[in-house]
Amino acid sequence: MTLVGIEAMNVFGGSAYVDVRELMEHRQLDTSRFEQLLMSRKTVALPCEDPVTFGVNAARPILDTLSDAERNRIELLISCTESGIDFGKSVGSYLHEWLGLNRNCRTFEVKNACYAGTAGLQMAVNFVLSQVSPGAKALVVATDVSRYTVDDGGDSLTMDWAFVEPSSGAGAAAMLVSEIPEVFQLDVGANGYYGYEVMDTCRPTPDGEAGDSDLGLLSYLDCCEQTFLEYRRRVPGTDYHTSFDYLAFHTPFGGMVKGAHRTMMRKLKKAKAADIEPDFERRVLPGIRYAQHTGNMMGGSVFSSLAGIIDHGSFDTPKRIGCFSYGSGCCAEFYSGVVSRTGSDRLRRFGIEEQLGARRRLTMDQYEAVLRANDSVRFGTRNVKIEPADEVAPFGSGRRLERLVLEEIREFHREYRWAA
Amino acid sequence: MTEQRHAEIFALVRSNIYEVLPDVEGREIKSDDRLTDLGANSVDRAEIVMLAMEALSLHIQRVELSGVKNVGELVDALYAKSHGQ
Repeated sequence: MTLVGIEAMNVFGGSAYVDVRELMEHRQLDTSRFEQLLMSRKTVALPCEDPVTFGVNAARPILDTLSDAERNRIELLISCTESGIDFGKSVGSYLHEWLGLNRNCRTFEVKNACYAGTAGLQMAVNFVLSQVSPGAKALVVATDVSRYTVDDGGDSLTMDWAFVEPSSGAGAAAMLVSEIPEVFQLDVGANGYYGYEVMDTCRPTPDGEAGDSDLGLLSYLDCCEQTFLEYRRRVPGTDYHTSFDYLAFHTPFGGMVKGAHRTMMRKLKKAKAADIEPDFERRVLPGIRYAQHTGNMMGGSVFSSLAGIIDHGSFDTPKRIGCFSYGSGCCAEFYSGVVSRTGSDRLRRFGIEEQLGARRRLTMDQYEAVLRANDSVRFGTRNVKIEPADEVAPFGSGRRLERLVLEEIREFHREYRWAA
Repeated sequence: MTEQRHAEIFALVRSNIYEVLPDVEGREIKSDDRLTDLGANSVDRAEIVMLAMEALSLHIQRVELSGVKNVGELVDALYAKSHGQ
C-alpha cells in the first residue's frame, strides 16, 4: 500500500506580537482567572502582512530544501483560509506565483472556518493515495489573519469580547504532502469526521466576526467526543488514554483545549482530576506551546499544535499522535499519524520556535496604530501604497533573511516584494 | 415538575458552581444570578454545564443547553432534558 503523509512542514507566526495580559489590562478586562486561559502572546498582522505573505513565508523554507525536479512534482496547491482577499481569485494564485511553482499544478482554495486546513490536508492525502499521478506531491497552505473589527448589534449574536480579541491571532502552516511521509505518516482510513449546521462563530461581513462563544465552546466539546467515537468505530480497540502518545488539538486558546481534554478523560476513562493533570502536561501541553506565541491561527492551528509536539516531544521510538480539528459552522475530524526520529529532526531544521522568539513586541500604542493602519487594507481596497514605515521591521534574527511583504494594492492587484 | 426534583438539580448546579468557582463558595446563589456575574468565563460556564450533565447522566448534545441566561434557566433546561421534554 502507498504510504502517505507530510514530507515537510513549517509554521510561520508573523513578525510582531502583543503580550495578551497587557492587552487585557489595556482593555480593562477581568484578568483574575487569566492563568487558566493558558494564553501568553498573540500575533498581530501588520498592514504589510496578509494571508499571502503569511502563506509564502511559511512555505518558502520548505521549497528551498527541494531540488528543481522535486519542486516540479508539486502538482496540487491547496490554499485553506477563512481570510480570503477576493470572492473569486484564490490566495493560492499568489502563492503559486511567489513560490515559483510549476504551471502544471492544480490550484484552488477551500473554506470551512478553522477546519479548512484539515480539509485541504485530507484532499491532498487522497490525491496521493489515488495514484493518478504517481510520485506527485501536493502543497497545502493553511493561512489566516484576523484584522480586528467585531460586528456587534443584535441580541443573540454577541461575542464574548473578553476572549475574542485576546485570543485571535494570525499565522500559517505549510505542508508538503507526498508518498514520502518523513515528518508525519497518516494512518490511512483512520478518520472520524462529524459536522452539522450551527451558528457559533462566523465572518458574515468582509472584515468582521460575529458569533456566540458559549455555543462555539459547547459545539467544540460535542465534536471532540463525536469525532473520537467515530474514529474508534472505524479503528476498533482505540483507547483515548493509551492509543496516542500525544494529542494535537485545534487551539482557539489553551484553556479551551485543557477543558476539552479534561472532559474526554473524565467521560471516556472515568479519570480523576489528579490523574488528568499530569496526562495533560505530558500528552497535550507540548502542542499548545506555539499557540501561546501566536493566538488562534485558525486553519493552521491544529498543524501548529502538531509542529509543537514534533519539535518538543520525545521520538526515540516512533510515536502515534491523535489530531482533533474543528471548524465553526461546523465540521470536525479526529485523525492520527506516526512521527519518528527522522521526522522530528527534519522539522527542527526550520527553527519555528526561534522564529517566534525573534518577533518584535508591540507596545499598546503601537498595536492601536497597527489597528488603525489596517483600515487602509480592508477587504475590497482598490489602490493603496503600504508605506515602508508601516513595516514594523526588523524581522529579528530568523534563519531566513528574506520575507515576502505586501507593498501595494494597484487596481485590486496585490504587489509584493522580498524584504531583507 | 416536582418541586423536590427541581430543588435537587438547583443544589447540584450550586455545588458545581462552587467547585468551578472557588471564590464564590458558600455565597448564596439565586435563580436570577448570571454565571458571568459570578465570575465565570466561557470555559467555566461550559464546565459547570458539563458537570451537571454528567451527574444527571444526561446523554444529549451539549449545544442543546446553550442560550440559557441565568442559573434558574440552566436548572430549568437540565430538569426538562432529564425528564425527556
